[in-house]
Amino acid sequence: MLFLIAYDRTRGKVANMRSFADSQRRVAEDARLEVELDLNRRGVQQEVVLLEASTEVALRLTHRRYFEDFAELARSSASSTRST
Amino acid sequence: MTIPVSKTQLDLLGDRLRAGATTDSDLRLLDTFRRTFVPPYEHVILTVKNVLAVDVTGRPAKSTTSIIEKLKRESIRLTQIQDIAGCRFVVSDVLAQDKAVAQLVGALTSTTVVDRRDRPSHGYRAVHVVAMIEDKPIEIQIRTTLQHLWAEFSEKSADIFDPSIKYGKGPAEVLSVLTDLSSMLADVEADELESQEAPADPGFDALKRDLRKALGLLIERTAALRKKRVE
Repeated sequence: MLFLIAYDRTRGKVANMRSFADSQRRVAEDARLEVELDLNRRGVQQEVVLLEASTEVALRLTHRRYFEDFAELARSSASSTRST
Repeated sequence: MTIPVSKTQLDLLGDRLRAGATTDSDLRLLDTFRRTFVPPYEHVILTVKNVLAVDVTGRPAKSTTSIIEKLKRESIRLTQIQDIAGCRFVVSDVLAQDKAVAQLVGALTSTTVVDRRDRPSHGYRAVHVVAMIEDKPIEIQIRTTLQHLWAEFSEKSADIFDPSIKYGKGPAEVLSVLTDLSSMLADVEADELESQEAPADPGFDALKRDLRKALGLLIERTAALRKKRVE
């Protein structure tokens, strides 16, 4: 699956996320460009990134930073045993 | 049909991005450039999945924000950036990391291994394999669970406090926590690797659990620090 994420770094939170099927790569890439153009025109500072993972759960394990605040990271750290 | 873009045009684009005031046409040109990495990226993803059977997360294109930051931070041209496209996966320990690196080097034709375990980059420890496919570098990040937790903590701290934290700058109290923690994790992983040549030591699992808890406490302390700063 493909995940298009707009991340607000200063707030440390995902501002928007959309998912696409693997077969929709071109659509997802076009959507990424459109989001970037829109944010740039409006002067909004957000990091726009397209990521690919088997599931959202897998994505959240390798890119916790986008989804977890410090408290959640701390909890994940204490309980993390999973590796791939 | 996509019109080919010359290296000169791309490096001039890099200069404009570095200078700021990004235009629509610059974003479109950057997008065109990044899409040229997709076929080699897909080749690498497929190889990683086939050879290692791991759950890999791919990033077909580096974000514009990260590209601009890199251009501003380093005296580098846009066409010289090594991590426009790449992927990441996490393994249990250093032994598994070494094995994965060796398998990837064997499976991909042209690779460079960047081992940041013994010589960390501002505390960041991992192994990166850069595969050159169709003249495009594709970066594969291989991290152990401990290295990954540290990296996530570092990146979150950079988001919240100061982006330069990842490059050894920013609030001293946060840098100190990150540096100490990185050294501690390096020591544990070195001992763990050594012990794996001898009979398995169950004590290491307990030690790693304790370390993760300690890391959790440090992250909470950093969160409290942030709250204090905001207030």
